[in-house]
Amino acid sequence: MRLTQFVCSKLKNFSNFPKEYIERSKKQVYWKTPSGVPNYLQRTVERKRFRYTTNRPWTGQFRQQNMPGTIRKKVFVTPVEEWSFFRGDRIEVLVGKDKGKQGIVTQVIPERNWVIVEGLNWHYRTVGGEEGFPGVLIKSESPLDVTKDVRLVDPSDLQGTDFEWRYTEEGEKVRVSARSGRIIPIPETNNQTHDFKTPNAYIEREKDTPGAVVGEITFQPKLATFEMDIMEEMGIVEERTPKKSYWY
Amino acid sequence: MSSALKILNVAKCVKTLCSSVSNKFLSSSLLNRMQSQQQQNVLTALSALNTRTFHSTSPRQDLMEFFDDPKNWSENEVKVGRAWKLEELRIKSNKELHQLWYILLKERNMLLTMEHECNDKMELFPSPERLDKVKISMGNLETVVRERNKAYHLLETGITGERPTRMVHNPLGLRHLYRSCEHVLPPHMNVKWIKSRDIGFGGRAVRKFLLLYREKLYNIKRKAKNRSRNEVMMLLRRNPNIDVQVLRSKYPNVDIDKLLRDDKTRGHFVPKVGV
Repeated sequence: MRLTQFVCSKLKNFSNFPKEYIERSKKQVYWKTPSGVPNYLQRTVERKRFRYTTNRPWTGQFRQQNMPGTIRKKVFVTPVEEWSFFRGDRIEVLVGKDKGKQGIVTQVIPERNWVIVEGLNWHYRTVGGEEGFPGVLIKSESPLDVTKDVRLVDPSDLQGTDFEWRYTEEGEKVRVSARSGRIIPIPETNNQTHDFKTPNAYIEREKDTPGAVVGEITFQPKLATFEMDIMEEMGIVEERTPKKSYWY
Repeated sequence: MSSALKILNVAKCVKTLCSSVSNKFLSSSLLNRMQSQQQQNVLTALSALNTRTFHSTSPRQDLMEFFDDPKNWSENEVKVGRAWKLEELRIKSNKELHQLWYILLKERNMLLTMEHECNDKMELFPSPERLDKVKISMGNLETVVRERNKAYHLLETGITGERPTRMVHNPLGLRHLYRSCEHVLPPHMNVKWIKSRDIGFGGRAVRKFLLLYREKLYNIKRKAKNRSRNEVMMLLRRNPNIDVQVLRSKYPNVDIDKLLRDDKTRGHFVPKVGV
């Protein structure tokens, strides 16, 4: 039960990239035994530990911060039972110069237990500085740790509150404010992705199969293998009889 | 659909025309030719209807089919939908899966060519996740086809019809999965194969190897255990108010009660006394 709870987090992947792509793009293989050569045991020497930052794993900045061959100090991330902070949540900041202020979560980085809150906990950062030009100051928000730096805001009285996950009568899992017992709904912004705001609002591109065609049931059960069915479809008749063979 | 109906209507007209004309003065050979032509028309219309359901580029049959649309060349991002899921492929007929496979294969070839060309020309390959989406779709499609074939074989013969595998000992005495091969001769007649299998394992060198190999495996396990224990220790030291229940579920092999008694989990601060 606990394992399934951990796996089925309600946090949606904003980038909408397949997991395979994210894994592939951050991979750093230093050495791999040639495949198909029996005198080697299969070995892969690759980077196992990555430093996750506000830069996402498929970006060049991430690679720059995890340059091949470098080792960075381990970061100890406190395990959380279930991820409870979502994009669009109103939260109260408990630390720093914006202590006590409330803001909206714009970005979530669960690898580090981080949330980035719009317009809070910010600092100036110099970018584009070079010789003869001092660079430009930009405002940049620092991430906040969900285990100690922030807490959710109760929608009934707009005060910070503790919460717990509970089940409704319908069996749906919801966050409930510990003070007022009111449900803190997961904002709709959590379902937004880079590609669409809502799944219905997605604009079908040139190479996409239309939704109606995808849902159409064309499968007819038939006592034939895939190959037999295709051969019948294409009018291919096999007249040769295979020689007896042995599998061992 | 309307276009297909139109074509059907045209075909019907042609047929009636043919029959009326043939009755009067046309030879039967010409009639046959015309009828076959008319049949072809319908067939192409139907196949067009079927293939139109999935996206497929118009057949150009030149080398430029290996390249993306020129208007995507300078883009930073080419937006596409997601990969085909298993449950979506399970409701599709074999014919459609067959068509879809070749559409995906062509797309994969195109993407790999574009990736290679972009690397060659020092350009940015836009949206490389398209490759993964195509690969996931192809993998799912293969899974569905395999499921169908397995069901047929189980129903008809009682075995899955997959390539047989079994666990065997290799020359070093380690068990590994042996994937069977197809042979012309039965095993008892295949002297060459018998000789190739007849490798005994034993002797001092192999025993020594196995000893060291097992030690290595044990060390991997031991180090992993130590690593997770140290991780819990560091977490407890850094965060004295941590939820121990979560730690227990996350690290089930670590004795956390023992660690809590340990001095090493105490942080670098004065402990609260008498609270």
